[in-house]
Amino acid sequence: MSETTPAVEITHLVKDFKTSFRRQLLRAVDDVSIRIMPGEVYGLIGPNGSGKSTTMKALLGLVSPTSGNCAIFGKDSAKVDSRQDVGFLPENPYFYKHLSGAETIRFYGKLCGLRGKFLEDRVSELLELVDLNSARDRRIGGYSKGMLQRIGLAQALVQEPRLVILDEPTAGVDPVGSRQIRDLIFKLRERGITVFLCSHLLEQVQEVCDQVGIIFRGKMVKEGRLEDLIAIEDQTEIVLQDADPELVKSITAQVDASATTQLVRVGKPRTTLERLFLRETQKDKR
Amino acid sequence: MKGYQSSHLYRISVIARHTFTQLVRMKVFYFLAVFAVIALASNFFDLPQHETPESLGINVLRSIKSWSIGTMTLFSVVLSVVATALLLPKDVEDRTLYTVLAKPVPRFDYLAGKLGGVLLLIFSSLVLMDILMTAVLHVRSGIVMNQQMELATAQGWPQDAINAMLNDTVAQGVTWSLQGAVIAIFIRSAIIASIALLVSTFSTSTLFTTIVSFLIYFIGNFQADALDAFLKTSETLQKVVTGLVSLILPNFQLFNVIDAVIEGQIMPLMVLVKLVLLGLFYAGFYTLASWFIFSDKEF
Repeated sequence: MSETTPAVEITHLVKDFKTSFRRQLLRAVDDVSIRIMPGEVYGLIGPNGSGKSTTMKALLGLVSPTSGNCAIFGKDSAKVDSRQDVGFLPENPYFYKHLSGAETIRFYGKLCGLRGKFLEDRVSELLELVDLNSARDRRIGGYSKGMLQRIGLAQALVQEPRLVILDEPTAGVDPVGSRQIRDLIFKLRERGITVFLCSHLLEQVQEVCDQVGIIFRGKMVKEGRLEDLIAIEDQTEIVLQDADPELVKSITAQVDASATTQLVRVGKPRTTLERLFLRETQKDKR
Repeated sequence: MKGYQSSHLYRISVIARHTFTQLVRMKVFYFLAVFAVIALASNFFDLPQHETPESLGINVLRSIKSWSIGTMTLFSVVLSVVATALLLPKDVEDRTLYTVLAKPVPRFDYLAGKLGGVLLLIFSSLVLMDILMTAVLHVRSGIVMNQQMELATAQGWPQDAINAMLNDTVAQGVTWSLQGAVIAIFIRSAIIASIALLVSTFSTSTLFTTIVSFLIYFIGNFQADALDAFLKTSETLQKVVTGLVSLILPNFQLFNVIDAVIEGQIMPLMVLVKLVLLGLFYAGFYTLASWFIFSDKEF
């Protein structure tokens, strides 16, 4: 398959659901088109009920489009074959509580045709990747929310997919767990795996995504490269380390002297509350 | 994906083994302890009667068979409906179905695997129960025959009469027909499980699936009467209803042959073959119908 073939190509997707009341139609997704190239991390953001999950389900063949097409690496997503290359982590996954972490990954691996030593090696490798080796033989029923998300990510990666679809991957997870999942997404990007995630945690999307789409009431209202979308074109930012106050004063004076430039703000950059939380809670571990 | 290949059969067996494990870990096998108690307790259900050599202990042997087969029937019917009705909605509710269907798993493989897992559990349970019943019945029929011989000899029966009596007693003990009856129980539960699978593909709750499946099983016991009415009636509506019932539902009355085996009658091989074919046809028919509905279902 050529690298110019999009990992995901959703074309004019429309999805209507029948409501039970008077069998009226509810349009969940309205003419949405998305194109994700191999190796990109794409974030679909929008409020609850805006059509994010329905778009993902249509891509996975879990719902049938009313009109439009979905393709994964050029294969029609309605066909089972297209799922050879996809790993999926649904929102708030539960998995089979009677299985241990290792058994869960093994089960999903077997569904993908893996077996024998290769499968066992893969199980160990993935448990290492998601930092669950110590809980490999513990029943899933006793896992915390963050551990469930990570084992979910491990099962999604079991057959070494080229595309990973994550539906609200950090929903309900504490900041430490959320950071671990984010780090895993970075690792996926380093490996060249395409990631398609949806979330309403905007800061998280901003941190990991190359491309962003904003969906609202079923319609794609904005889409493009993250840097392009969030850049304020008529402003320039200079951040100085250990700057002498005199130097700052001189720069400020130069700006003031300019007829066309206005000084918007001078101050100290702030860390985020999340980074502060992580730094304080990780102190003891260090 | 690095070109891993997986056949339909392999995937179905993976899902079936997983379903089997799931049910086993739900402590379903505790029922076997109950069965063991029933099989052993049935040894003591000997009704007081006028003891002649030919009737000595026969009631106990029938009691062991009757209680054991009855318990097997109850277990297999209840499990085939409840377990099948539970598995599908649970997967949807827990969203585990998403993760399974998001893998390269055709929906037919998923359904067949789930059904296969339930049937594997019922089959394993029946085998274990059958072994226990056979062991108890074998030991007890040996004791009964010794007692009969002693009493008949004491009463001065001729050897030919004693041999004939013992042959009759053997027919009440462990026979191939009894094994055939256990196979018939399995076939009936396979049909019922596939009915429950079909209902669960369009029902919205486990309770609805359970009730409707039991109802269909109940109606199936009157299929022969419906067919008879269909052939005799000339009224259109009645003809349509009875025709549909006799066409869609299997005739569960055919399984009454199990009761005859408990009474010591022989189950002809052709009857067993007919039941196997009936089971294959209906289990296949209902599974295909389930797939037809499930393949278009949205989650």
